[in-house]
Amino acid sequence: MRMPTLEQTQRLLWRLITAPSGVADGLRALDDTDRLSRDGLEAIVNGDVVLPAVRRLDIYANMYFFRLLDALKEDYRAVLATVGDASFRNLITDYLLHHPPSHPSLRYAGKHLPPFLRSHPLAQAQPFLPNLAAFEWALVDAFDAPNADCITRDTLAAVAPGAWPKLRLQLAPSLQLLELDFAVGESWQRVQAGQPGGEPTRRANWVRIWRRELRVLLREIAADEFAGLQAAAAGESFATICERVAEHERSEERIAALLQQWLADGLLTGCDRWHHT
Amino acid sequence: MSTPPYNRPAALGCGVGLRPTHYPYIFEHWPAVDWFEAIAENFMVRGGRPLHTLTRIRERYPIVFHGVSLSIGSADPLNFEYLGELRRLAQRFEPAWVSDHLCWTGVGGHNLHDLLPLPFTAEALAHVVERVQRVQDVLGRRIALENVSSYLTFCHSMMPEWEFLTAVAERADCGILLDVNNIYVSAVNHRFDPLEYMRAIPIERVWQFHLAGHSDHGDYLLDTHDHPVKEAVWDLYVEALHRFGPVSTLIEWDDKIPEFPELQAHADRARRLQERVRAHANARANPTPAVAIDHRA
Repeated sequence: MRMPTLEQTQRLLWRLITAPSGVADGLRALDDTDRLSRDGLEAIVNGDVVLPAVRRLDIYANMYFFRLLDALKEDYRAVLATVGDASFRNLITDYLLHHPPSHPSLRYAGKHLPPFLRSHPLAQAQPFLPNLAAFEWALVDAFDAPNADCITRDTLAAVAPGAWPKLRLQLAPSLQLLELDFAVGESWQRVQAGQPGGEPTRRANWVRIWRRELRVLLREIAADEFAGLQAAAAGESFATICERVAEHERSEERIAALLQQWLADGLLTGCDRWHHT
Repeated sequence: MSTPPYNRPAALGCGVGLRPTHYPYIFEHWPAVDWFEAIAENFMVRGGRPLHTLTRIRERYPIVFHGVSLSIGSADPLNFEYLGELRRLAQRFEPAWVSDHLCWTGVGGHNLHDLLPLPFTAEALAHVVERVQRVQDVLGRRIALENVSSYLTFCHSMMPEWEFLTAVAERADCGILLDVNNIYVSAVNHRFDPLEYMRAIPIERVWQFHLAGHSDHGDYLLDTHDHPVKEAVWDLYVEALHRFGPVSTLIEWDDKIPEFPELQAHADRARRLQERVRAHANARANPTPAVAIDHRA
């Protein structure tokens, strides 16, 4: 047999380690072109009576799966508490098949779970799961987002009245905006308190999650505020932000109240002149 | 990089791995450990608590960055985005050094988040040496590479691990983080003599030791970092101190992490062993003349 190259060796090991039902099944699933030799894995990996080659590789396969499972259990505590250990484990098996990690940091391994859940059979029985997962991932993202200093009332007071329509507001980089079909924030809070998450109420709701100094905060907001913040986050002008808010409630007092709230919550980190791009 | 002449970095003493569960204790007590080792990837974030915490700790202690995703032996191209992050971290926190593992962690753009062994071939050696040199150029500093615990070896390996590790360090001009527990675990799993391994490693290349606990699975040992350091590993550590001197030593604990004082007690034990071995070496080097006692008339 020709000696396998480093790349051939690594690609073979990667396929076998990530095979969902173990190395032996992974070996059977290889087609002839994937096989490096007729003699099987033993021609590449040393084995002995005590520990045959397949078992040696299975040690790595187990560590791969359980390390990721443990990391995702941390990120998705409420999803785990809701579906239980066995279903969560099956979910992660399916997930890793579709989204094997590619980022150098384990921190990002769970990034695709919320959209993945939308088409997963678990969500047919419990349709709130994608919302719950999106909520938990927003917490992860807010936790280590970039720092930014807040502006104060004085910064806005210094803006000339004529400049307001073209003013662009900069938002805290940690701000996560969620439009949800289920009140998953309530079930998340129950899990935090050590209670069963239970099934959340089905109702449209809007949530913002952000970080102030080192603390991650969350607030349920109204649809008009969500629309205004979404426009601000997209870099729209203040005039457009007002229009988006006004689609829900047309009142100058409302916009003024929202600005006050955003200042008080530390959501505003800068403002500059809007340019059409 | 215009490479400065090789010198082994000054020893830091005995430290422990920095883990979030211990942050409250550290900030309350500022415990007397010599240094902390921080997992580099945990701080490759944009803001928030992780960087804030590390800034506070760095104000009081020396730190070393220990990476887990360099994947120096991967057939994939080097990840320069990752290296850029590592360089920025090193510039900001000024660690005593930066280390990672002699292994591969993924291929084909995927990451296994595990430390996989390499085949010890001429191809792998040339590949790793060239990549270490490029990494050191990007970082503007030498790195140290750690021997990993392994559960398999390759039929096409052409040399033992200690020969491969030594060749990498000497040809790429980098340091070695010698994990004493990993030598022990691999020695049991692959039935080699751990002392033969250590005797082959060039003394001046070793910048740091790791000590950690492993689990006995009957047919093999697993490097779990969830137990106290085993007595057999402490014995091997003493052998390592005799050969390499009082090298910076770090206690690693990643799962079932004990309260900080227990972790600190292990670092203290390592320090006492260093002092003993140092005293022994001094006594051997400077034998005192015999003194007549004449305590009886």
